This record gives sequence, C-alpha cells and structure tokens, in this order.
Amino acid sequence: METPRDDQLIADLQALRPAPRPEFAAELDQRAAAGFPRRTHWRWTPFERLRSMQPRKLLIPAGGVAILAIAVTTALVAMQDTQPQPRLNIDRGAIHDGGARNHSCCEFERLAPAHQPGPEAASEEAGGSVTESSGTSSAGAAASVPENYDGNAQYRNGSTNLNNRAVERNAELVLGAAPADVAEDSSKVFEAVHAHDGIVMRSSTREGEAGVAGARFELLIPSAKLGDALAALSAIDEVRSRHEATDDITAPTVAAGELLQDSKARIDSLLAQLETAETESEREAVEAELAQERRHRSHLRAQLQQLERRADYSRVLVRIETGAAEESSGGGAWGVGDALDDAGKILAVAAAVSVVALAILGPIALIALLAWLAHRAWVRRERRRVLS
Amino acid sequence: MEQTLIAEAKDAPRAGDLAFERLYRSSRDDVYAYVASLLRDAPAAEEVTAAAFERAYRKRNRFDPERGEPRAWLFGIARNAALDELRRRGRQAELAAEPADVESFGAPEDHERRLAVSAALERLDPGERELIALKFFAGLANAEIAQVLGLSESNAGTKLHRAMTKLREACDGNA
Repeated sequence: METPRDDQLIADLQALRPAPRPEFAAELDQRAAAGFPRRTHWRWTPFERLRSMQPRKLLIPAGGVAILAIAVTTALVAMQDTQPQPRLNIDRGAIHDGGARNHSCCEFERLAPAHQPGPEAASEEAGGSVTESSGTSSAGAAASVPENYDGNAQYRNGSTNLNNRAVERNAELVLGAAPADVAEDSSKVFEAVHAHDGIVMRSSTREGEAGVAGARFELLIPSAKLGDALAALSAIDEVRSRHEATDDITAPTVAAGELLQDSKARIDSLLAQLETAETESEREAVEAELAQERRHRSHLRAQLQQLERRADYSRVLVRIETGAAEESSGGGAWGVGDALDDAGKILAVAAAVSVVALAILGPIALIALLAWLAHRAWVRRERRRVLS
Repeated sequence: MEQTLIAEAKDAPRAGDLAFERLYRSSRDDVYAYVASLLRDAPAAEEVTAAAFERAYRKRNRFDPERGEPRAWLFGIARNAALDELRRRGRQAELAAEPADVESFGAPEDHERRLAVSAALERLDPGERELIALKFFAGLANAEIAQVLGLSESNAGTKLHRAMTKLREACDGNA
C-alpha cells in the first residue's frame, strides 16, 4: 500500500470520525430543548454540583443566611444585655472582711447613677436652704447586743434551708413632686417609715425652685414590711423610678454563727482549764488566752449582728425630685432620644456581631480559598497526567 | 446530520439561550467525535458529551466572548469532562480501543487504507491523537485548538504538524 497523500489522509481521518448514535443524538436534542434538566444518574460529586450552580444563585441564599444569623445573634446578645443576670457567688472566707456576699439581684427599672448630682449639690449652687438630720430611729433597732448573744439559732450548724435564708434587700425610689409639695411629701415619708417600724438613718430637704427643691432619705425598713412600706412610699407622689435588689448573705451569716459557736466552746474549755489551774503562771496563761478569745468572740458577735441586721432591715433610699421627669434617672416615658439610644446600641451590637462573624468566617474563607486553589491545581495536574 | 430542537415557546428565549442553541446545533456531533476519540468508549462518550453540554448550559452566562471563541470554550469543557472521566475510571490512555467501525471504512478500495490509518492513530501518543481529533474530528481551527489546550497558536500548529508527520510515518510502517 502506498503512503497516503495529505488530502487523502485528511479525507480518511474525516471518514474515521466517530459519529453519535441517532438515538443518542435525538435524546440529547430533547434534553437541549428542555434546557438540560439535571440527570440523577450522572455521577456528579457534591463539589461538582456546587460548581455547576450559578454564583448569583449561591450568593442570594448565602447572603440571606448570613444576615439572618447576624440578626438572630444580635437579638440574642441584646436580650442577654437587657435581661436580669442572676448571680451566685459563695465565699465563706469573706466573712472576715465582710466583703463578699451571695448575690441575687433583680432590676425592675433603670437605676439612677450612684454618682448623680444630688439635690444637695444643686442646692449649694442655687443657694437653697438645706436641712439635714441623721439617725432618727422610730423603733430602736440599733439595740445593744446581749453579752450572751451567740447568733440567730436558725443559722447555727449550717442547718439552713430555703425558708431560712438570710437575704439583704435594698430599694431605691425616686418620687417626682412640685416644689411646693416637697415639705408635705417629706412629712409623709416620715409617717410611712414610722408606720412600718422603720428608721430614718439620714434625711435632707431643700427648698427652692423646680429642679433645686427636693429631699433625700436613707431609711432602714424591717425586711418583712418592705413591700408594704414601698407601697406606702410610692403612694406619696408620682413614682419616677423604683429599683429593688436582693443579696443572699446566708453563707457569711452561717459561717459567722459557726465561728461564734466555736469561740463559745473554746471559752468554756478555757474556763474549765482555769478552774483546774494549779500554778500562778499556768493560771495567767489561761487568762490571757481567755481574754484574747473573748475579744475574738466579741468581734464575731458584732459581725453576726451586723449581718443579721442587714437581713432584718432593708436599706431604702427615697429621693423626692422636682423639675422635668426626663432629668430623673431614666424613669420618663420612652421617647425619640431613647429610641435613638436604643437604635445606636442595636447597631453597635450588630457591628460587634459582624466583626466577630468576620473574625470567624475570614480564616474559614481563607482556608476554603486555599483548599479550592490546591484542589484546582491538583485537578489540572491530574488531567495533564491522564494524557501524558 | 439533521438536527431538530423541540423548543417550547413559553417565553421568548433570551439572546444567551439562542446563542447556546446555535452552538449546540453546530457542535453536537463534533463534541461527541472528539470525546469518543479521547475515551474510545461509545457509552462513556455519550455520557460525557451530555454532561459537557449540561455543564456548558449551566455556565453559559459566564462565557466571556473576549476570552475566546464559543466553540473553544465548549471544547474546553468537554475536554475537562472527558479527562475527569478518564481519571475517575483510571483507564487513562492505556484503554483498549474499541474495534473500529468497519462500515466507516467505506468502499473496498478505501478499506485497507483506512484500516491502516486507524491502526496508525492507535500508535500515536494520546496527546497527538487528541490534536488530530480536535483538528479533523471536531473541525477546530488552530487558534481554537490552541485555546482548548492552553497553547499558543503557533505552538499548536507545530505540534499538529508533528502529529500528522508521525501519523503519516505510522501509515508507512503499516504499509
């Protein structure tokens, strides 16, 4: 056979060209007319399926999911910020400095800032008259503790239960009044305190114009009567804000009672040793130890008394303010300013959530990009290798 | 071959759809011929051809005319699909060729010569066989071949020339 010429070789090649079966061609035509519907039997990997999707179709649901996730997270964070946070922190050793307590706090309304300029400061500037008094007691609550006092029996031996918990309560009440009504309202405060066996620890009243005139009362109210007392105080005038908080001081109270019991037992033991002391030096040593232990017992007794007083009496701060309600501690009607504040907070939270989401998604996206690039390079290399 | 598309005229087709339809009509048999020459397995060639058109249809809006000819773009997709199929099956180029369709060898006087050309094709490297398939089975221009294979046009022409020379020599060897 002779070597084919170029044109003949080309003609032969074209004659050898594979042709599709008519059935396959017809089926493919139908699929083309139908817009190539997806075939379930074709072995596409999930990655290939993902790749086959148009980016726009992927972006819309992905963006929607991202926005939804950010919105939900923002709402959750915002709700956490506004919900009361129950806390429990037991520290028995804190009894010695009286610092740590168990906390259980519920905020019912916004609490005025503690450092908010009081009416006293305002009156100094305005030259208003100020009347102050302190330590007015209506019930003699600060009675002296008997020498043989060894703590409330309900806390002894750590045998407390839910009904015997020592809970310290605090409340703050801001009343709004006209300047002319401040004196009358102050009198009603005293009456209400006396009616509920409370103590006025400190009080001050100011006369003057609106915004200057006002009064401030630091009260101790028997905890059992706190609810009634607050109701009575709230009825005096317009309530601008009311805040109540509770601190569980059971643990330090129980600890103080136990220590007091131990100290009493130690003193009894020392007294017994004193009776049996035979020498003068032995007797002096026991007496010195006894004196020290008695001082220790006095200290513990004072601590326990203080803790029990905190549980028995609730501290109540009552302020009578004059002037616009908006100037009080956030107790006014919700207005445009509050709305802007809230919107700003929500935007700040949303921005914070977005930053956190970006911090999480950024590295993931980078890893995904690198993985995709590596996969693409590997696929290209493999494709080249197939034909090599 | 007569090609018929049964299109339901629910909505007026968009320009991209019409262009793709034209591309499909003009390239269906060429794509199949090219894929079949790579895979040398008719059922697999049908699957891959259908998959290639499906992928191209899904990506039709991403085609950028400034980056090349539509046929080159389509054959690039078909090439990737065919190579992926070869990779997946692990058959690579060592795949035993299907027996040639004797009917395609034509008249008895051409039969022996075309049998020799077919045998010579089998002895070529897969890459060289692909070049010849792109040129003479798919009917691509050198510029389009270059785009499909990621080569320069002159390089593609040179490689094609070498492949043809080798094919001719192989035919001589058969003779």
